[in-house]
Amino acid sequence: MEITRRDFLGAAALAVTSGVLPARAARPFRLGLTPVFLDNDAAVIERLQVALTGALGIPVQMEQRRTYKEVTEMLLEGALDAAWLCGFPYLQNRDALSLVAVPVWNGAPLYQSYLIVGAGDDAASLDDLEGDVHAFSDPDSNSGFLVTVSDLAMKGLRAEEFFGRTIFTYGHRNVARAVSSGLVRSGSIDGYVWEVLAKMEPAITENTRVIARSEWLGFPPVCARRDRMRDGDIIGFQDVVLNFGNTAEGRAALDLLQLDGMARATPELFDGIARRMQILNNLR
Amino acid sequence: MRFWRNLSLSLRVPLLVVVLMVSVGIIASQLVLSQLERFQVTRIRELARLHVEALSVALGPHVLRNDIWEVYDTLQRAAGASENRRTVFSVVADETGSVLAATDPRRAPVDSAIAVLSAGAQLPDALSIRSTDPRVRLLAPLVYQGRTVGQILTELDISDLLAERDATRRLLLLGNALATGILALLGYLATRRMLLPITRLVSWMRDTEGAPQPIPDEQTPAGDSETAQLVRTYNDMVCAIEAKAEAERRLAERERFVSLGRLSSSLAHEINNPLGGLLNAADTLQRYADRPEVVRQSSELITRGLKHLRDVAKATLDQNRLDWAGAPLSADDFDDLRLLIRPETTRRGQSLDWKVNAGAETLAAFVSAPVRQIMLNLLLNASEAAGQDGRIGVSVEEGDGFLHLRISDTGPGLSESACHRLLGIGHSTPGGGVGLQLVHDLVSQLKGHIRLDRAEGQTVIEVDLPVPGQREAAQC
Repeated sequence: MEITRRDFLGAAALAVTSGVLPARAARPFRLGLTPVFLDNDAAVIERLQVALTGALGIPVQMEQRRTYKEVTEMLLEGALDAAWLCGFPYLQNRDALSLVAVPVWNGAPLYQSYLIVGAGDDAASLDDLEGDVHAFSDPDSNSGFLVTVSDLAMKGLRAEEFFGRTIFTYGHRNVARAVSSGLVRSGSIDGYVWEVLAKMEPAITENTRVIARSEWLGFPPVCARRDRMRDGDIIGFQDVVLNFGNTAEGRAALDLLQLDGMARATPELFDGIARRMQILNNLR
Repeated sequence: MRFWRNLSLSLRVPLLVVVLMVSVGIIASQLVLSQLERFQVTRIRELARLHVEALSVALGPHVLRNDIWEVYDTLQRAAGASENRRTVFSVVADETGSVLAATDPRRAPVDSAIAVLSAGAQLPDALSIRSTDPRVRLLAPLVYQGRTVGQILTELDISDLLAERDATRRLLLLGNALATGILALLGYLATRRMLLPITRLVSWMRDTEGAPQPIPDEQTPAGDSETAQLVRTYNDMVCAIEAKAEAERRLAERERFVSLGRLSSSLAHEINNPLGGLLNAADTLQRYADRPEVVRQSSELITRGLKHLRDVAKATLDQNRLDWAGAPLSADDFDDLRLLIRPETTRRGQSLDWKVNAGAETLAAFVSAPVRQIMLNLLLNASEAAGQDGRIGVSVEEGDGFLHLRISDTGPGLSESACHRLLGIGHSTPGGGVGLQLVHDLVSQLKGHIRLDRAEGQTVIEVDLPVPGQREAAQC
């Protein structure tokens, strides 16, 4: 009897769902990463993976996707065990997601959104950028999209009408590159990313200038599915993450990311973002 | 051009070889360079085509979606990965010609018109390169899935290729110049070597002018080449000239006896005639020994006859014993000549008008032998030409540094061949008249000249001999 590829895949899927295969013990922990700034930095990701694998005792598989949306959807559908998301997609799916931990930067789990232009640009505020090309990071990013869009919404303006053209670079680092090279006049960027880049890759940021900073908002959190929060591996993962700074490897990884550590968080940390979401919804 | 014509053959031929070698070198270099140029253009076109094709594949979907960031990011990565940073600048526009992104966005801002930058851009397949411009600008349609979705303008840095071409060109020219130089030098030396026997022959002929000598065997080129044949022919000619000169010398020697021979019958008469008288006188002496008057008259007669015989014998002996480097000319020599020719003229009943008006000093400047030989031959010739009862005139004068000999006769004139022999015109025909040929040769040796004239029924031969030590005479 000839076994076709489809027959084989079907049988394999059935075997997995019925628990016939003893695969659970060998399955790695899958952690999703949004393209914050480290999408180009293989060294940082590898260090993070090694540290987490060592602490967790099982292999940790880092999953990267181009957009926030892809990572969020993978988390929601169970393809990921946990993911480092952004406050905006967390709030968009707050019914299905729970907070595992939130990074602490400069002593607080908070960050800002920056509005940047070219170093030689004489723009002083958002108002001066009308009609020009603007770079967003991702349509599901708080600092790279929501803050600027909601600022315009507060003035009764829509981004696609206010700017001559808008583009998405799908990465905060790319926003800095686009502004620095002159591809766009201005960009919305994660303030934490810009500050870290200013130290690690000053060549990118030195051609840019921050002309506006948002209020302090909740730092992009690590999330898991709400219904899995009591699963042993998620509890174990949360424990590892919260104590990450206590291990040498974890400390080294955090130092690379220039973070102080990880802390427990409550949904209230993201109220500022929630307010901006509300403003946007009101305009729509 | 005159300089070239004045150059010797042994330089001209090798130089011509050098010029030809250099010409061939230049033409060969030109051919290789143009081939190199074609090869490079083909290479750059291929490079440009591959570059555009690769960009089309990478950029196609992004251009189709107007994804400005991805277009920019792809261009940046392509430029970063490009071999030796060949791509200096790239711009991508959508199908309306509006710029989507460029490697240098400040030079080509988003949404600006690509047409501003594409002026002067070339198509990859028709790309040409100018050696002065290290960058080429290409404009190509961006084809994705068989459809033109935009345009790509790209600037390629080809300075390395131009440098490579220049280096190759320099190397090639240097190599060719070196090879041509070596070949030209070898050609020059080889042809010089081949022409060496000719050069040697020319210099040999120049050095031995007037007295040609055969080229020694050790200097004759070996083998049977043209030059070897030339040298052998030259040697044969020199030997032939020597043989001819030797033959002429022998002939002249013989001529002295011939002229005497021609006189011998007359001389026999000259001796025989007084002999009859002498015998009669002797007979008278025997018969009338007792008559003192008769004895005295007879003995005087015998003495006169014997003196005459002595004079004739002496003149004949003198003519025969002529020493060509010896005694100076004197009036006695002309008396001898008159004595020698008289039997001839007497036999033919000819009158002889004899005038010698030259100073002893002038005459003594000459050696007697050749002048006597010249005169005797001309006199014999005049006597023979004048015929029975003819008249012969002899005049010897000096003037203007010359000794003028003038012999005239009333004969019918010289034949054409005799004229040629006397004046040394053309070739001497074999046969008689050796005397006239000898006159010409002797006059030539004395650097004198001969004039032949015919007027009033007389043939006049004038010989002007420069008096040695007085002036340089003209050539005969």
